Amino acid sequence: MNERPPAVTEADLHAFADDRLLPEDRARVTAWLDDNPEDAALIAAWREQNDGIRALFAPYAVEKAEDGALLRPRGEAHRRVWPRRLAMAAAAAGIFVLGTAAGHYGPPLLSPPELRLTALETLPRQAQSAFVIYASEVRHPVEVGADQEAHLAAWLGKRLGIADLKVPSLQTLGFHLVGGRLLPVNDTPGALFMYEDATGKRITVLIGRNENNDTTSFRFANAGPVETFYWIDGELGYAVTGDIPRDTLRRVAEECYKQFPT
Amino acid sequence: MPRGHSRNDGDAGTSSPASGTFEAEILALMPTLRRYSRSLARSDADGEDLLQDCVEKALARRSQWRGVNLRAWLTTIMTNLHRSGLRRRGRHELVDIEESAGLPSEEKDGDPLERSRLEAALNSLPPESRAILMLVVVEGHSYRDVAEMLEIPIGTVMSRLSRARLRLTNLMNAGNVIALRRPK
Repeated sequence: MNERPPAVTEADLHAFADDRLLPEDRARVTAWLDDNPEDAALIAAWREQNDGIRALFAPYAVEKAEDGALLRPRGEAHRRVWPRRLAMAAAAAGIFVLGTAAGHYGPPLLSPPELRLTALETLPRQAQSAFVIYASEVRHPVEVGADQEAHLAAWLGKRLGIADLKVPSLQTLGFHLVGGRLLPVNDTPGALFMYEDATGKRITVLIGRNENNDTTSFRFANAGPVETFYWIDGELGYAVTGDIPRDTLRRVAEECYKQFPT
Repeated sequence: MPRGHSRNDGDAGTSSPASGTFEAEILALMPTLRRYSRSLARSDADGEDLLQDCVEKALARRSQWRGVNLRAWLTTIMTNLHRSGLRRRGRHELVDIEESAGLPSEEKDGDPLERSRLEAALNSLPPESRAILMLVVVEGHSYRDVAEMLEIPIGTVMSRLSRARLRLTNLMNAGNVIALRRPK
C-alpha cells in the first residue's frame, strides 16, 4: 500500500466500495486494483460489510399504523394517550406474551441482541475451557470410561434429555473414545466426550442445550492453538475442540455432524 | 417495500394528514426515518423512541425548515438528537403496544449468529462514526451531503468512515469465525 501513487487515495477506495465514483475515476481505481490485490481484498471486505449492514436495517423501512397519529395535531393525538401506568402494565404483559411466543416459534424478538450473542458465542469458549481443563488430565480425564460406553450414552442422554444419544465413533479418523463426563453448558447439563489418537493427542466433543432453538452453519473459532468447530442444530449446540491440524478437526466435526441425529 | 406491515388502521387512516401538507410529507418519509433511527439505536425500542422524538421536534420547529430537502433536515435533527443524548425517555405516553411489538422480524433472514455479531460490532462504534457509516451505507447519501447534514468537513467524514470500517473489520475477524459448507 505504501507505493500507492497520489492518484489513488484511501478516499478513492472507500468511494469505489460505496459506488460513489464517476465513471472515469472508477476505471482508474479498477486498473489500480488489478495490480494491488490487498486493496482489492479490502474493498471486497467493505462491500460485504455494507451488504450485511443494509440487510440488518432494511426491514425497518416500513410504515406503521400509528405513524399517522404521531403527525396528527396535538389535541387529537392526546385522545389516544394511555395513562402511563396502564401503558407500562400492558407493555409488560405484551412483552411476556411475545417472549413466550418467541421462545416457542423463533428467535426472541425483544431481547437485546447482545444477550443472544453471548448465549451462542459462549459455546466455543466453554468448549475450549473444557478441553484445556480435562484433556490435560492424566489420571482422571473422564468420569465414565470407554469400557462403559453404553452406560455413558444412556446416562448423559438422560441428563441432557436426548433420547437415544449415541457416542460418535471416530475410529475411521484414528481417534478412539477415552470416555465422557457431565458438565455445565450455559448453566444446564451438558456432555463432553473425549477421544485420543495413537500418539495420545486428544480432542473433545461437547454437546449443550441451545434454548434459542436456531440453526447455524459450521463455525470455527480459536483461542491460541486450541481450535473449535461448532454448530447449532435446533435445540442442541455442538463443539469439537482440539489442538490438532484444522483440516483433521474439521473432518472430525463433519463426522460428528453425520452421526448425531438431526 | 413494506411487506405486510403497512396496516390500514381505521383510526389512524381517517385522520391522516391531508396530502401536500408538512405532516403528509413527513409521513411519506416515515419508513426511511424509521430505518435510520433504528440503525443509530441499540434496540428496536430505542429506535422507535428516537423516531418519535425526531418527529415531535420537527413539528415543533416547522417554522425553521427552509422548504428544501425535508429528508436532510429531518436526518440532521435525528442525528443531533441521538448524538446529544438529551432525549428524555418515557416522555411518550402514546404507546401502541401491539404496533411497537409488531417488529419486522420475519423479514430478517440469514444467519442469526452473524447478524448478532454485526450488530454487537456496530454497537461498539462511537455514535458519530456509526451515524456516518449508516448515512453512507444504509441511507445512500453522498459523502458531501453527509458532511453538510452533520456540519463537519468532508475530510472528517472520510476519516470517521475509515475508522468505523477498520474497527468493524477487526471486531468481525476477532472471533475468527468462518462459515463452512455444511456437510450432508
